[in-house]
Parts: sequence; C-alpha cells; structure tokens
Amino acid sequence: MTDVFKGLSRRDFLKYCAGTAAALGLSEVFAVERIAQALESAAKKPPLIWLEGQDCAGCTISLISVENPSPASLILDKISVRYHETIMAASGHIAEKAREETIQQGGYVLVVEGAIPSADDRFCMVGGRPFREIVTETAERAAAIIGVGACAAFGGIPRATPSKGVPLSKVVPGKTIINLPTCPVHMDHLMGTVVYFLVTHKAPLLDKLGRPLMYYGMSVHDNCRRRAHFDEDEFLTDWNDPKQKDWCLLEKGCKGPETYSDCPIRRWNNGINFCIDAGAPCQGCSEPEFYDKQSPLYAMGPATDRILAKKAAGLIPRKENA
Amino acid sequence: MGKRIIIDPITRIEGHLKIEVEVENGKVKDAWSSGTMARGFEALLLGKDPRDASYVTSRFCGVCFSVHQMASVRALDAAFGARVPWGGTLLRNLVMGAEYVYDHLVHFYHLSALDYLDIMAIANYTGKDSELNKVKDKVVGLVQRGDTFPLTPRYEPDEFSVKDPDVVISAVKHYLDALKMQIKAKNMGVIFGGRAPHYQSIVVGGFTQLPDINQVTRFRSILDELATFVNEVYIPDVVAFGTGPLLPLAKAGIGGGHPNYISYGSFELNEAGTKLVFNPGAVFGLDGGASREPFDPNNITESVRYSWYKEDTPKHPYEGAQVFDLERSDAYSFVKAPRYKNVPMEVGPLARGFVDQDPTLLGLVKNYGVKPGAVARHAARAIETKKVVGAMYTWCDELLAAMTKPGFKIHDTDHWEPPVEAEGAGFFEPPRGALGHWIRIKDHKIANYQAVVPSTWNASPRDERGVRGQYEESLIGVPVADPENPINVVRVIRSFDPCLACAIHLIDPKTNAIRRFMVE
Repeated sequence: MTDVFKGLSRRDFLKYCAGTAAALGLSEVFAVERIAQALESAAKKPPLIWLEGQDCAGCTISLISVENPSPASLILDKISVRYHETIMAASGHIAEKAREETIQQGGYVLVVEGAIPSADDRFCMVGGRPFREIVTETAERAAAIIGVGACAAFGGIPRATPSKGVPLSKVVPGKTIINLPTCPVHMDHLMGTVVYFLVTHKAPLLDKLGRPLMYYGMSVHDNCRRRAHFDEDEFLTDWNDPKQKDWCLLEKGCKGPETYSDCPIRRWNNGINFCIDAGAPCQGCSEPEFYDKQSPLYAMGPATDRILAKKAAGLIPRKENA
Repeated sequence: MGKRIIIDPITRIEGHLKIEVEVENGKVKDAWSSGTMARGFEALLLGKDPRDASYVTSRFCGVCFSVHQMASVRALDAAFGARVPWGGTLLRNLVMGAEYVYDHLVHFYHLSALDYLDIMAIANYTGKDSELNKVKDKVVGLVQRGDTFPLTPRYEPDEFSVKDPDVVISAVKHYLDALKMQIKAKNMGVIFGGRAPHYQSIVVGGFTQLPDINQVTRFRSILDELATFVNEVYIPDVVAFGTGPLLPLAKAGIGGGHPNYISYGSFELNEAGTKLVFNPGAVFGLDGGASREPFDPNNITESVRYSWYKEDTPKHPYEGAQVFDLERSDAYSFVKAPRYKNVPMEVGPLARGFVDQDPTLLGLVKNYGVKPGAVARHAARAIETKKVVGAMYTWCDELLAAMTKPGFKIHDTDHWEPPVEAEGAGFFEPPRGALGHWIRIKDHKIANYQAVVPSTWNASPRDERGVRGQYEESLIGVPVADPENPINVVRVIRSFDPCLACAIHLIDPKTNAIRRFMVE
C-alpha cells in the first residue's frame, strides 16, 4: 500500500474502490476486488493539488505548452491531478470534495498559481470561502509546496493593486516553498522542479529567494547573445533597422543585468524563441521587484540607470573577461 | 420558490466564477452570475509610463493571452498618433491568429468536450483500430489503477451525453491530439511573439521583431499542420456532434439568452484596412437578421447597480466614476454590467457570425433548425477558426512580399515617446468577443485606464432595470432534472468560454479621481 492511501483501513479502501467503479459506471466491467488489487500493486502516481488565486491562468497554460513530455502523458500518466480548476472535469462541491479528500490522504505536491489578497479576503473567494484559508489548509499536509509565476512567488502584479496581493510565503510562513517566478512560469522550470522532487523527494538547491539555483543561478545578461553590443554601447533605438537588429536592448528598458534566469540559454516554448531574441527587452519578471518597481518597462529609468552606473564603475565585466 | 443550487467554483474556465440558479419543475427559473476575484489593474497603472499598459494588461488573462496587449496597443497607437506600418500589422495579426487557433481548440476539446461525453463508454469499444485501442487501453488502465483524475469526479452523464463507444473514443483520441495541436499553435505564434502565453513583441507603434524568411516559412509550415487538423478533425467533430447527438440541444436553443449581438471588428486583410476578417456591427434579433446597425462605441454604458462598486448611474467607459464598495448588500459580483443602447449584448463567436451574416452559420440555422445557444456557440467557434486560418495564409503571403522590398518597416519609431496629453480608444475582437480599452494620458503618464472586456459583457449581473446579464438570461429554462447534477448549467456557461480574471477590475477608493474622458 502506498503513501497515498496511508491511514485508510482495508474496508475503507474497498469502499473507495467500489465508489470509483460506480462513479465510472464500470461496476460490471471491473470487479471491485480487481481494482483494489491493481491499486495496491501498481506504482502510484504522485497526487497534485494546483490552486489558483489572484492569477491569470497563464502559468497553467505554460504547463500545457511542453512538447515532451506531452501534456496528455503528464496529466494522465505521470501525475494524478486531484484538483486543478482549469483542467479537472468536476465543478462546484464535487471539485471541492476531491481537494478535501486528497488533503486527508496527505503526501501531495501543492502548486499555487496567483497571489493571495491581503487587503480583504473577499477579493478572492473560491467555493464561497476565502482563498487564503484554502491555501493555508492545503499547505498543511503537502509534501512539497511550489509557488509558480511571479504572483505566487513574490506577489507580482497583484502586489501593487488595491487588493494587495501577497506571495505564498506570507500565507504559509515557516514552510519550505520552492519559488518559480517569471511571468508566466517557465514551462521547463516547473516540469524540471517537479521531476527533481519526485526523484529525490527533496527540494533542489535554492537561492535566498527560494528559486532553484539550477535555473536562476545566472543573470540574463551573463548569457545574452547581445552582450558584446552592451560592452560597445551599441543600443537599439529603431526596430526597423536591420543593422541594429541584434544590438543591446538597454535603451528599450532591458533589465537583463539585474535579472536571474536561464532564459537566454533555455529560451521559451520548446526552445523556439524568447523575449530578447524577439527584440523585446527583459522586464525582470523573475525578480521580486516585478512589476511596479521595474517600471518603466520600455524606457530608460531607475533600473537601467543603475545598470549604466555599474557599467561605468566596471562592475559588469565585458563578455571576453567574464 | 424553487430549489437554489450554487455551483462554485465553475471549473474549466479562466478565472473565478460562481453561478447560482433557482430550479423549479426541473427547469432553471432564475439565475445569478458572480465574479468572485478581483485585483485592480487600472489603479496600478495610474501614473505609470503609458507604454507599460500593453504589457501589464496582457496579464488580465493568460488563457486568451495577449488579446489585451492588442486592444491596449491600439488605444496607445490612437493616443500616441502612431501609424503602424503594414509589416507591423501583419505580424500582430499573425501572432493573434495563432492565439485564436490555440484558444478555440483548447476551448472545444479541453474545456468543453468533457461536458458532452460519457468518457467511460470507451470501455465498451470493440473496434479494431489500433490507435483507438491505445486510447481505450490508456483510459481503462487509469480505471484499473483506480486513479482517473482529472477525468473524474464529474457530473454524471445525462440523456444528452454522447454514449456511442465509437464516437466517444474518437472524440477522446481527438482530445489527446488537440493537446498536441494547441502546443503547435502556440509554438507558431512564438516564432514572432517571443514567448507564450503573453507575447513580448507587440508594442505601441507596431512590433519588435524584424522577421526573416526562415521564420515565415516555419510559421507557414506549422500553419499547414493546423489547417489540416481544423479542417479534417475539429470542424467534422463539431458538425458530427452538433447535427448528431447534440441536435436536440441545438434545436431547442438551450442556453440562448438575449438575442442581441455585437462585434467591434478585427483583423485587417488589406493595408487600407477596408477589408476585415470580422466586421463591426450590432444586431438585434434571433438570426441576427432582424435589425443590423453599425457599431458606435458611444452607445456603450456600464452599470454598477448590482456590482461591488459605489453606487452610480450607468456611465460611458470614458466617463465612468467607480469606487469599489464591498459592503453593498444587494451587490453580488465584481463584474460590472455593460449595456449597448441600454440592452445586454452577447459577444464572441456567435455574435461575430451573426454580425457577419456568416453563410455557414446561417446555413446551420436554416437547414438544421439550430437556434442560438450552447451548441451554436461551439459551431460558430469552429467556423471562424477556419476563417482565421485562411486569413493567416494571406498575411504570410503579404508579409513575404513586404519584407523582401527595401524600406520594410514594422514599427512607427517617430511616435514612440508618450505625448504630454492625449486620449485613445482601442478595439479588438479576441476569441471570446468584443474588447475595448480606453486610456487618458497627462504629463506623459497614465491618468486613467479603462477596459470593457468580453466576459464583462457576457457574465454581467443585472442592471438598473433588473434585466439579467447574458449568462443569467441564457440559463432561464435550462433543464435540470437532478439538482445534484446540474450538468446543463455548466454546459451553457462553458459554451461562452468564460474568462473571468479579465472581467473584473476595480479602482482604489483612495487614489481614484472622478474618471472623466472625452470621446474622440
């Protein structure tokens, strides 16, 4: 018997199996006892509860953008998605019951997408209850807690709104939280972190902000292919000009030197492209300052002034000296 | 007094939605739609560099991602006086076209189909098709391992559920195939968009990525695969379901609602902008033929009578003054109630189809007796996906022609700096329907920002006159045989493709000045 069913008596367990068979309309096709045997012998898929608070579902869509493994194999073969508002078949009280039962069983991976409002609970209610309460009670018996996207990791955009969104760490203090910022979460960062946990039953090495070092250990600037143009003060001012096509995007507001993520190496969406390669400045979405303290996004401002000051002081080494 | 049923959360949508219905004699007698999450983006934008708006408002929603970027840059283009070069428009249209295909496929197969399929009928499949047997083995394997999440738990199948094993198994196969196709659609958009969700390359004045020939070729090659899937799988599935097992639902017009439709128009097919994929207009009447008129943004007002904002009379988005108020006892939603000429309108694929008098959609009405409702919405969505795919070929051709000429431009660099003082409105037709953004700039900064979004139109609560919003109205008369299993309610609601995160905005009472805009 695996962890998932720890605490259930054999009688409860058979009842659960009968319930499963009946729910599927398969009581005639598969005998209850046969399901029970299969359950006991088969390797269990790790259960997952994915909560969405003050979110845009962008991190969810990011998750289903990975080609290998395919979303179908992820959702059906690799993990047991007990609760995910955007994916699950159930609605209403049936959905909430699935979450409550999984909590009873314990040992699940908890992923939280979106911030939690601190100005007033009523800014985010699910099933008639404050989202904050749902996060607290679901975190209690989780085997691992992952905050995906800038909102859950650091508050992100909701932090600066009237609802005063706060990150997961403020709502479940004292627990290890793996933060996977960027807006939305990078699909590879999430997939790799989950796989790392399933293999080792541990969190990967984290930086002081709770981000796995394997993804957030180097700055965007360190690996930027436009870096040599930064060194030469060649800054793009006109997106139409083929000569400037690969020049540094600092003048357009790039925050790459102050942003830690492996985007330039890994790129996005199955390696097809990423912000800077598409001519768009890095907006520092993996950093706690995102968004309000990174503004203006597309112009020189406090962030780029700081970067230029560091450059003048020789604190940002030239590419060949790095 | 009938029985009250609350469904909260409505899942397989974007955002947080609660639906409450009163059921009497097996039918919905009354309904209330409540948005239950709010962030307050507009307040955040006040005082910021106007160019931030497109990036920030994109985060209204990550499912129908970047549509707000589009409406926002159009409002900014207008305010900055920017003239987007044809190359910039083509690139914007191509990435948004990719978003359409991804979005409509996900909505039909992954967000809606489970409402219509008795998925476990797969166990009874006896055919010899090896691909289909793989699907059977997968689902049966899940059952045998006792872990069928997230396919169950669920509402129980009813008389409208498709139970024929052959039909169900091929639909589930297509569900799995479509999971791959939606990735391809996003990959395609990312070639120019930078990343998805939330493209990076759409900015005021145009686009940030100068394309090369290989990228266009790659885009077109993925487009070929998607076109095949849309034409040979998606559309035949919708037709087979709509004219087959779901025809009784379609003919009964389950989920019809108010017969008023509006589209703002989108997707230029020529440089002059005189030819569009979707035309703007407003129609009143069941098949859209009763009364058609040009779209005039001045006819839009928003009511906060039953919303958690300080009481006020209905205002045009340019003039609305809102302060949120969580203590109002008769309010029940964060969603406001937009009205056009004081009546509720439906927005989205069905609305676009009727405004355009689309012959395929009207053919379904005429030849099969399909009435506006849940099934018709799915049909309209499939029909327009094909139109957008067709347009993308045109845009690829136009782009290749334009980019191989000297002086090719993607951005209006002369209008990149924010003006001292200006106003602008931007309109776009995202997959979910009519979207408008309004901006006012003062001292080079955002002085006011307002968005009236598709799900605000569809999910709105009642207005001053007590007239229900479209979700609410569409639920009236919907059969609910078993209050414990209100599957028809979620079918109707999901047919709109709800996207609630973007439907809700609020303004901080402390920072909010009287919001007054001048109409251009």
